[in-house]
Amino acid sequence: MRRGERPLLLLPRPLLLGFLVLFASQLLYHHAGRAQVAANYQTLDKPLSAPLYRGLAMGSEQLLGYLLAIQLQLHDNQAGRHFRYSMIDYDVLIDWLELISAISPQSGYATLLASRIYSQTGDPDRLRQLLAFIERRFDENPQLHWRRLAEASLLAKHKLHDLERALQMAEKIARQPESVQMPQWARDFRFLLLAELNEFESAIAIIQALLRSKAVADPDEKRFLEEKLSTFQQNLLDFQQTTSN
Amino acid sequence: MHSQTISLFRFLMLGILSKRLLVMMSIMVLVAVLAGSFVDELAIINGDAIQTAFVADFLRYSLALLALLMIATSVAEDYEFRQFERLLTMPLARWQYIAAQTLVIACLCLLLTLPVAVLISLYSNAAVGLYWAVALWLELFLLGILGLLAILSLEKIPQAVIFSLAIYLLAKFSSLISLMLTESVKLSEGSVTSRVIEFIFGAILYVIPGSRAFAENDVFFASYDLSAMLGSQFITVSIYALFLLTVCLIDFYRKEFNL
Repeated sequence: MRRGERPLLLLPRPLLLGFLVLFASQLLYHHAGRAQVAANYQTLDKPLSAPLYRGLAMGSEQLLGYLLAIQLQLHDNQAGRHFRYSMIDYDVLIDWLELISAISPQSGYATLLASRIYSQTGDPDRLRQLLAFIERRFDENPQLHWRRLAEASLLAKHKLHDLERALQMAEKIARQPESVQMPQWARDFRFLLLAELNEFESAIAIIQALLRSKAVADPDEKRFLEEKLSTFQQNLLDFQQTTSN
Repeated sequence: MHSQTISLFRFLMLGILSKRLLVMMSIMVLVAVLAGSFVDELAIINGDAIQTAFVADFLRYSLALLALLMIATSVAEDYEFRQFERLLTMPLARWQYIAAQTLVIACLCLLLTLPVAVLISLYSNAAVGLYWAVALWLELFLLGILGLLAILSLEKIPQAVIFSLAIYLLAKFSSLISLMLTESVKLSEGSVTSRVIEFIFGAILYVIPGSRAFAENDVFFASYDLSAMLGSQFITVSIYALFLLTVCLIDFYRKEFNL
């Protein structure tokens, strides 16, 4: 049976006043805290060890690896704002990418984030860190990561302007045994690097080759590449118009 | 004797089936689908596999909790309304109550896994959907029997649910706890206390279900021999469930009821 209640106005006035003051303080404090969080970039925390995450995964290591990758991918979006990649500590970022690769070694998500997302940084040292990460993953599993190393060699040529490094990576792809299945153009990638193509032309060439060779089976990645292709084609057109004027 | 058990099973099953169960299941499936779609939108690659694995795991844990609550509530009501005393005045053996409850758990788990089978088959393919449904059924059945033992022994819903969840999570996190204990032995330079704790936990692992008793979520990302995995899980669950049922019988036969 429900117990009867006295009207609120019959309660002691100091109690009601105290409640209203404390309620208002809570609202103001929370609002101020939110404004503070929204204005400041929250740095990326260092990850814990891979065995610890494996234990926490409760048997779903692959899923946890992907979810951590998605969480990392969303790190630059905080409280509805997009923060520049230059604000991210790339040493910690590489630790996260290494961790994700260790938790789900059969996933190419970490190398994809490295080659297509975080490579947009303008800092050559950071870019070198990413390329080294992709190269390490390729050494572990060339079959899974050859496309990322091909992309990394393009980044080395056009973003780092380090043709020697780019050719070194392309050579690495070419030296793979026949047991590593990849299209012939990937093994001949050094010729594409040596050709006098600009950044957009090279990117368009590699994406078209990827789509044509059916090396990309995942529909999400195919969609992503098609979007990138149209962006690069538009950029190339803009670039050509600017240079002709 | 069998017909009495079946009649008792029907009676108990009617107590479990309710609109509340249907509504809870519908809400869980809806939340899983919506959350899964959100994850799919965020993923750059392998969105379909990530979504399926996420939905499957979400439903696994929410249905496990639901099954546990349903079973604990059902038996707790039997205690509360002095159902046991009434049943024992009838020509029924105590094992028949346990047998009927086991059938109820099996049917409840089947009811819970049927929509999962359809959903996962739609997201993935029929083979993976079937594997996940059967593997999940085995996992829920094991947890249900554990819940039955807990409620028969502890007689109160909160204690029984917490005990069952503790054992379930202990089994799930056993690799993490083992790792922490091994590190603790290393850090303490092999101190006796750390070694004793590690030994005790090693002994506890013998009486909780191993990792092979649970559905493998990695099937959504790579191809595995599904029948071999199911075979191994079936054997693990059968041995453990029979062991738990024996403990249930011992506990139930030892109980005194005021007739």
